[in-house]
Amino acid sequence: MASEKIRKVVAMNLLARIRRIPFWSWIWFILGALYFLLPLYATANFSLRMERDVIGFKAYIRAFEDPEFLKTFMYSNMLALMTILASIVLIVPTAYWIRLRLPEARRVVEFITLLPFVVPAIILVFGLIRIYSSPLVIPFTNIKLLQPLTTFEVGTDILIVAGYMVLGLPYMYRSVDTGMRTVDVRTLTEAAQSLGAGWFTIIVKVILPNIRAALLSGALLTFAIVVGEVTLASFLGVPAFGPYLFLLGQHRAYEPAALSFASFLLTWVAMGLIQLFTGGQGEVSGAH
Amino acid sequence: MTHLALTNVSKVFGDFTAVNNFNLDVQKGEFVSFLGPSGCGKTTTLRMIAGFEIPSMGKITIDGADITNKAPSQRNVGMVFQSYALFPNMTVAQNIGFGLRVRKEKESEIKERVAEMLAIINLEKKADSYPYQLSGGQMQRVALARALAIRPQVLLLDEPLSALDAKIRVSLRAEIRSIQQKLGITAIYVTHDQEEALSLSDRIVVMNMGEMEQVGTPFEIYNFPTTVFSANFVGTLNNASAEVVDPASGFISIDGVQFESAVDLTERKPGDKVRVAIRPERLSFASEQKKANVVDATIENITFLGSVVRIRVKIGSTKFNMDTFNNPFLELPKIGAVEQVTCSREAVLVLDE
Repeated sequence: MASEKIRKVVAMNLLARIRRIPFWSWIWFILGALYFLLPLYATANFSLRMERDVIGFKAYIRAFEDPEFLKTFMYSNMLALMTILASIVLIVPTAYWIRLRLPEARRVVEFITLLPFVVPAIILVFGLIRIYSSPLVIPFTNIKLLQPLTTFEVGTDILIVAGYMVLGLPYMYRSVDTGMRTVDVRTLTEAAQSLGAGWFTIIVKVILPNIRAALLSGALLTFAIVVGEVTLASFLGVPAFGPYLFLLGQHRAYEPAALSFASFLLTWVAMGLIQLFTGGQGEVSGAH
Repeated sequence: MTHLALTNVSKVFGDFTAVNNFNLDVQKGEFVSFLGPSGCGKTTTLRMIAGFEIPSMGKITIDGADITNKAPSQRNVGMVFQSYALFPNMTVAQNIGFGLRVRKEKESEIKERVAEMLAIINLEKKADSYPYQLSGGQMQRVALARALAIRPQVLLLDEPLSALDAKIRVSLRAEIRSIQQKLGITAIYVTHDQEEALSLSDRIVVMNMGEMEQVGTPFEIYNFPTTVFSANFVGTLNNASAEVVDPASGFISIDGVQFESAVDLTERKPGDKVRVAIRPERLSFASEQKKANVVDATIENITFLGSVVRIRVKIGSTKFNMDTFNNPFLELPKIGAVEQVTCSREAVLVLDE
């Protein structure tokens, strides 16, 4: 009975709040939503019309049945996972140290993290190929330390993960830095130190768990970039999902639309996950 | 034997000397407060004991062992922070047990110690709560338990009550003192609140601009301040410029009004400029003529402060505050009236100008 009343009051409050929004705000909101939703609707509609006069999932079935799809998709997922892990290992201690001991370096580091927005991926990949297609030699000797990274599979994987780390840097660094801003990193560190904890324990047991929402959002953004990336993957000649989608789009009509729509859904699921996890942490950090 | 010793400790940040030649010996189980205004170097000194700052000069020892350059994690010093600094991702029990887990103690011993600490701070029922589910006072009690759980040689408290409201502050400070005495732990407490320092401490170090102004028991600091800063910072104080009249008998003159002081003035000469300090509560209306220091005073203002009534009087051309306990039958003089005011010889403190 009481819950029914509460529900009614909540519904009335919501209606009252909606009524308070000005007319023109509604118009702009609807126009914005249409701008976003119409192409999506068109893609979804097109992807369902592979057979004449029939609405069905044939394009999806054919796209998913292609063994190349699964192979390239799994490979890109693996690259994304590696990129995320390597980024966390590199960026978390860096952002932590800058916040703790080198606040004066923050501007320089922020500038560096923004470079991927200015320097196109094509420059990056040519740079990587130019440098790492020759063997690593000790200077002034002929002693070879390493074969050219571009000449073997693992080497190429290392190169592409390094490249993706650069592309994901603005997102990952900013997410981690923002996450650290929400917790008092310095005092938590000092508290842990006074209790006898070393740097590794502090990062793993105190810092990482308290920035997990930030890490997750950075990781999901990196994931989205890596899975759809074409330039680095094409020029390094790896069987990734981005080039596969690109090739598919050149030869087929409906399957790329189906895969594009599926990737939209995947992104939405990812955003839902971010919301879920961020909401959970908001409560924890709110206490601080 | 001295438990904690700071010898000639200084800390310089660029051109700024935060702490200058700090010397202090603390006995085991003693509760010492560093008292002073913001920027006086009290927190920097505490942070040097904790290991978060390395002294530019000097030595810090605990039980004779030099810890000056040891990492904070190697010092076995517990610290309680103003902002609680509880780990938000851990429950109360996990927070308290964190230091013990870092030390790789047995799980059964950790559980036992955590239960013991929870009992001391009376938060047994909150063991599985997260920090955000606790009030400020509860969080600070957990922070205290966490710092004590590792059995530190010295407990450091950096303005632990500043973020709490007045009532909780008073009850928690009594709790801190009682726990410290029960465990017999050496504690260093940083505060800018004189009431906290006076009520908690065995000894107080009054600090100003990186220097130690005075070290003494709360009684000594309040009643016998040795510097103008100490006298002004601790408690309310009337102070005025004066001139020595007769060093042998302790007579001084404030704007022509003569006062007698119990302070030894034999090393001074007649005409020497000094600063005289009298606590407001040491002044009272003269009930009999025979008392020392009976002077005429004009009543200028009367302010009710709850338990105390503050009366502003003018003696000669100098204004003084006079405090008297409030009671319903108190007969207060009229504004503008001239009354006789007195204080004992001991109440007249003479400090260097």
